Amino acid sequence: MEIKKYDEMGETERDIIREIASIGTGYAATSLAGMLGKEVRMTIPEINILGFNETIDRMGNPEEGIAAVLAHMSGTIQGMMIFILRLDFVNEVLRQTLGRQISDLAELDQMDLSALTEVGNIIISSYANAISSLSGISIDLSVPSTAVNMLGGILSVPMAEFGYHTDKLLLIDGQLVVDNKKLHSTILMMPDLESLNVLLKELGAFYERGN
Amino acid sequence: MKGETKIGIGDMKVLRQEGTLITYALGSCVGITLYDPVIKLGGLLHVMLPQSNGSADASPYKFADTGIREMLRKMAAYGGVQRRYICKIAGGAQMFQMTGPIGNIGERNITTVKNELRAAHIQIRGEDTGENYARTMLMDVSTGVVKIRTMGRNEKVL
Repeated sequence: MEIKKYDEMGETERDIIREIASIGTGYAATSLAGMLGKEVRMTIPEINILGFNETIDRMGNPEEGIAAVLAHMSGTIQGMMIFILRLDFVNEVLRQTLGRQISDLAELDQMDLSALTEVGNIIISSYANAISSLSGISIDLSVPSTAVNMLGGILSVPMAEFGYHTDKLLLIDGQLVVDNKKLHSTILMMPDLESLNVLLKELGAFYERGN
Repeated sequence: MKGETKIGIGDMKVLRQEGTLITYALGSCVGITLYDPVIKLGGLLHVMLPQSNGSADASPYKFADTGIREMLRKMAAYGGVQRRYICKIAGGAQMFQMTGPIGNIGERNITTVKNELRAAHIQIRGEDTGENYARTMLMDVSTGVVKIRTMGRNEKVL
């Protein structure tokens, strides 16, 4: 079945995507655990198909300051991945990597931003590699870029990029839990429609063989 | 907050006499305010993309070209007179220092907004655009004063 709009996804399609998101998030959690030297667990990823304004409402307050690392996917799978970090998560990363803490995201300096970009890069790459090795589909990632700003402004980036093709976004949203503390971080994978169909086709076949 | 009318992405609203029009965290999107001081009529439009390319089903307010045209039509219907309009624009930032497959969308949005306003003979009287940060734009309809809020900077009157 070919999906022409994100909201045509049925339960089976959602299950397939949730399954690959679990594997991707699981690999990302393992990488992060190695980096931080702490136990990292994950929540079961949620699949949401939401309008632009609903997306922001769901993620939080549009004016809230967040840090975000973004990488474009190209090749067979196109779209973007965004790793969103709130202040508590940023502090966990800074404590482990640079031994420092901040009380406001405005205090982040170049060194801190490099550390965050690196962590984001490792998380995004582990996620994408997991999906690649599972499906045999290659996913090429761009060099990641980091921004620290208002949530609404950050989320306008994927909206504009997909905006000519859709009025809704597919949010594949996995959360990482560090040392049993639910530190706020979110990995968003956003494939374009064509890539979603490729993933469903390849992975759907994979799961049918497995069952 | 009382008396605030929120404008979402790809939307436009008009108020008369009193109240505040507000749109939050414009990133690469552009906010456009028009104000007719004689009748205290204000409108705020939040567009996301430059040209509509004839896409019929989506809201006209999603795009700069169709959005501005529809806004002018709506303002006129409320009694606004085009030559009296005071226009201000904000947004069009590049949030990440990288360009995706669609290029610098913020910059393209700004260019299209300016072309569309020029074609309608509307002069831009205040502007806060570009750079790499998001902006919240609000207008007090009783005075026509437009303000910009950003993260880590002082509030600015346009």
